[in-house]
Amino acid sequence: MNTFAKIALRNILRNKRRSLITISAVGIGLGALIFIWSFVEGAHRQMITNYTSYITSPVQVQPAGYQTNPKLERALDNSAALDARIRQNPTVRATSPRIRAEGLIASSEASVGTVILGVHPSREILVSTLNKRIAKGTFLQDGDDQQIIIGKDMATNLNVGLEDKVVFMSQAADGSIASGAYYVKGIVDSGVTEIDKGLAIITFTAADELFVMDGRPSQIAVQLHAVEESTQTAAGLRTALNDPELEVLAWNTVSPILQQWLDYDNTFIWIIVVIVMIVVAIGIMNTVLMGVLERTREFGILLALGTKEGQIIAMVGWESVFLGLIGTAAGLFLGLTSSLYFQETGVDLTIFTDALNAFYMEPVIRPCLNFKYTFLSGVMVLATSVIVSIYPAWTAAKLVPVKAIRSI
Amino acid sequence: MSKIRVDNLSKVYVTGKNIETPALSGITLEIEPREFLAIAGTSGSGKTTLLNLIGSLDAPTAGTIHFGHTEVTGMSKNELAEFRKDHIGFVFQAYNLINTLTALENVEYIMLLQGVAPAERRRRAADLLTRVGLEKYLDHFPNQMSGGQQQRVAVARAIVSEPSVILADEPTANLDSKTSEQLLDLMLELNREKGTTFVFSTHDPMVIGKVARVVNLKDGRIAP
Ligand SMILES: Nc1ncnc2c1ncn2[C@@H]1O[C@H](COP(=O)(O)OP(=O)(O)OP(=O)(O)O)[C@@H](O)[C@H]1O
Ligand SMILES: [Mg+2]
Repeated sequence: MNTFAKIALRNILRNKRRSLITISAVGIGLGALIFIWSFVEGAHRQMITNYTSYITSPVQVQPAGYQTNPKLERALDNSAALDARIRQNPTVRATSPRIRAEGLIASSEASVGTVILGVHPSREILVSTLNKRIAKGTFLQDGDDQQIIIGKDMATNLNVGLEDKVVFMSQAADGSIASGAYYVKGIVDSGVTEIDKGLAIITFTAADELFVMDGRPSQIAVQLHAVEESTQTAAGLRTALNDPELEVLAWNTVSPILQQWLDYDNTFIWIIVVIVMIVVAIGIMNTVLMGVLERTREFGILLALGTKEGQIIAMVGWESVFLGLIGTAAGLFLGLTSSLYFQETGVDLTIFTDALNAFYMEPVIRPCLNFKYTFLSGVMVLATSVIVSIYPAWTAAKLVPVKAIRSI
Repeated sequence: MSKIRVDNLSKVYVTGKNIETPALSGITLEIEPREFLAIAGTSGSGKTTLLNLIGSLDAPTAGTIHFGHTEVTGMSKNELAEFRKDHIGFVFQAYNLINTLTALENVEYIMLLQGVAPAERRRRAADLLTRVGLEKYLDHFPNQMSGGQQQRVAVARAIVSEPSVILADEPTANLDSKTSEQLLDLMLELNREKGTTFVFSTHDPMVIGKVARVVNLKDGRIAP
């Protein structure tokens, strides 16, 4: 081994306790960073997965302009052929054509505004998990053309329960009055206000008849094997379909607010990153600087013997590199094992269930180890530990031999 | 091997708020190759200052120092480091060694800086340590050796790269008289064997008695 590296390594071993404290600080900091990053990544994935398994699916195919102006007469022609072509994409897991409209829903006591979806129940449950969020009653089945699913807050506002009759009113695609009566079959408790308060679901057949759609859906909801691939799949479908009459949108275009929230959350993590880096920097700088200061005489002798400034800098630099490397190894070990362990078992946050639901999160969050962020954290910690060694190294190299030797 | 010429050398230390302490004034001195020279004088007379200046560890206020035809005063910091490495060996009063290196590695260190091949380095360092009677201590660290043993390692380290001059500032100050005498005899032998110039400071009468030439310093000047 290079003698300067050897001297550096022995200096680390010379003050074991101090080195150990530094290595622990670096290791715990990095480990925590990796874990937090995995945790947030897991939470984000869960939020996206949950969000895209209710109403907004990972990808939606709809008539061009529908997103900004969702008029009922904007609907998809030849939807069966279109649907078949969408399913050819290997990342697509399932599709569900939907009729979507807005209107007024009324009981004998009250009326509220609502979004109404017309779906094929047997296909919808492959795209959406709302059927698993039925608090009372059951989800629709194919042929339940007189039945309706509503949210739990809407049920409260209308003061209706299972089997009760509600009336929906709106305007049909041809401009005529659309009005139908349905019996409550199930009540959804998703924890998401906009769904529990303002969503009703009937069958596609019922909606087709009510709105006079001639079998044309407003959109085709597309569920994927991997939700992370939403953006790429949307782009791929856009190219494959190559139809200016259509718009293919990923969930983050449909709901920029959620994306912004995730981005904001990521910014917050960067603040933690900066704090961890400062702790690492101070820890290593302290150890190395103390080591340099208590060895002033030794550096004086090294200089007197003809050691050059650059060689002194290398010697001190190696110390930081070794501390940084060992600390990084410890941190990677801690971060990886904790992330992988909780990736298996999940982190149980049941006590916060209500708050979590509102953010599309579940009480058990599974961290998701992200290779990119883990690698990045390791590199940043290592780089920080090398950068902070510059000052102590410089201090040692700039010593004047006589003065250094005099100070015992 | 070349003659060392010290010409009209002065050193004034400036401390605190422009307090000037003249430590050396107008020192002129010639040191012949192979000489064994003691610089004697009371405490504060300027012995350490003179050795530090000759060893280019510090810069003079005025005057010049030549090693042969090379003027040392006025070189850059890195040039001086290079010069020390190749031409000067040092033995300090105490705590001379690098604590994280073994006796053998301490003696190898300068040869390492000089780029001597590892096997050659090890052989020369081991030979010399054997020569100074430390063959059993090659792998000992400084804190595992006595003061006298450490000083012998320091002498071995100073001489191993065969510099033209070895400067030793009170090398025996921390040793008992018997150990001091052994160390001095060792240095005298090496001086005769290898022809290395030795310049060292002392106020030990035993040491002064064994030396061919003594330069007396008094208040920073050479006393007649
Ligand atoms: N770094 C310094 N700053 C200020 N004055 C100094 C410094 N070093 C030495 N001096 C002064 O210079 C003079 C000579 O000091 P020097 O150390 O050379 O004496 P010395 O002969 O080696 O003494 P000793 O036998 O005690 O080691 C003394 O008056 C001392 O106080
Ligand atoms: Mg002195």
